[in-house]
Amino acid sequence: MQASSLPPPPQVAGISLTGRAPYVISRQENLELCESMGIVPSGDDRAHPIYFFIATQIGMGMTVAELCAVCEFNVDDGPMIVSSKVEFSQSLLVEQAYRVTGEIVNLTRKLSRKIGVIDMLEYRLNLSRPDGTPVLVTTSVWVLPRGNST
Amino acid sequence: MKIAVGNTLPPFRVECVSPEGMKAWAGFLRDPNPIHLDPRAVKSKGLGDRVINQGPANLAYVINMLQRAFPGAMIRTLDIRYVDNVFGGEAVEASGKITQLSESAGEIRLACEVVLRAEARGAVISGTATLCVPVGT
Repeated sequence: MQASSLPPPPQVAGISLTGRAPYVISRQENLELCESMGIVPSGDDRAHPIYFFIATQIGMGMTVAELCAVCEFNVDDGPMIVSSKVEFSQSLLVEQAYRVTGEIVNLTRKLSRKIGVIDMLEYRLNLSRPDGTPVLVTTSVWVLPRGNST
Repeated sequence: MKIAVGNTLPPFRVECVSPEGMKAWAGFLRDPNPIHLDPRAVKSKGLGDRVINQGPANLAYVINMLQRAFPGAMIRTLDIRYVDNVFGGEAVEASGKITQLSESAGEIRLACEVVLRAEARGAVISGTATLCVPVGT
């Protein structure tokens, strides 16, 4: 099979990933997350920066399983994250409400020599305060391995 | 530490990536994927025979390394590739090197190459980070 002969992937670019409810980083969970790595949380209200990923992933309008389903992919087939980019405008704070907006950027079908047909899913999420003040923007790319099932 | 291009950052090492920690991260991430919890699930997918650490947890080790190297700094950007899995029981070490430096408006802006290596296997995360450090810290 050649890449040019593959059927097109589902047309999902532009689908909204805007969250339905605000996301709050709990002080207690931030403490537990830091302790799980043997570090001490910030002495002020700053949350661990990895919450850029956690807050956007949980606060977006779909679970990962639902996002996969939109792409006509079963989450049990093992989506794999391949890259993350983030640009912070502000530090993340505990006990601060944030809202998530975003969308699927694209879904591109390719042929991998190792694992067969794959779709590359790219989506962008923005985290902001309830008044609209931007906090960060992040872009993630996942591989959805299709094998020979397309 | 002295901030200069070419300087390496003190490593952040995890001697043993714990399956118990993966259970905690499954909760933080609301991610019930069994490959992080059950070695049988990993084996059934042909991915090995040990549970696989969550990618964001691996990235968090890199962030810990940056925050220890530059206390008080703000991470402005991260651009990361997840190039391999980390398995339960492995030792990993995050490290980095300063590649660019500029100063303006009372702060130092620096760029770093960062990497997380699994002992005896090599890089599992690689990428770049930029940080802003207040002058005088």
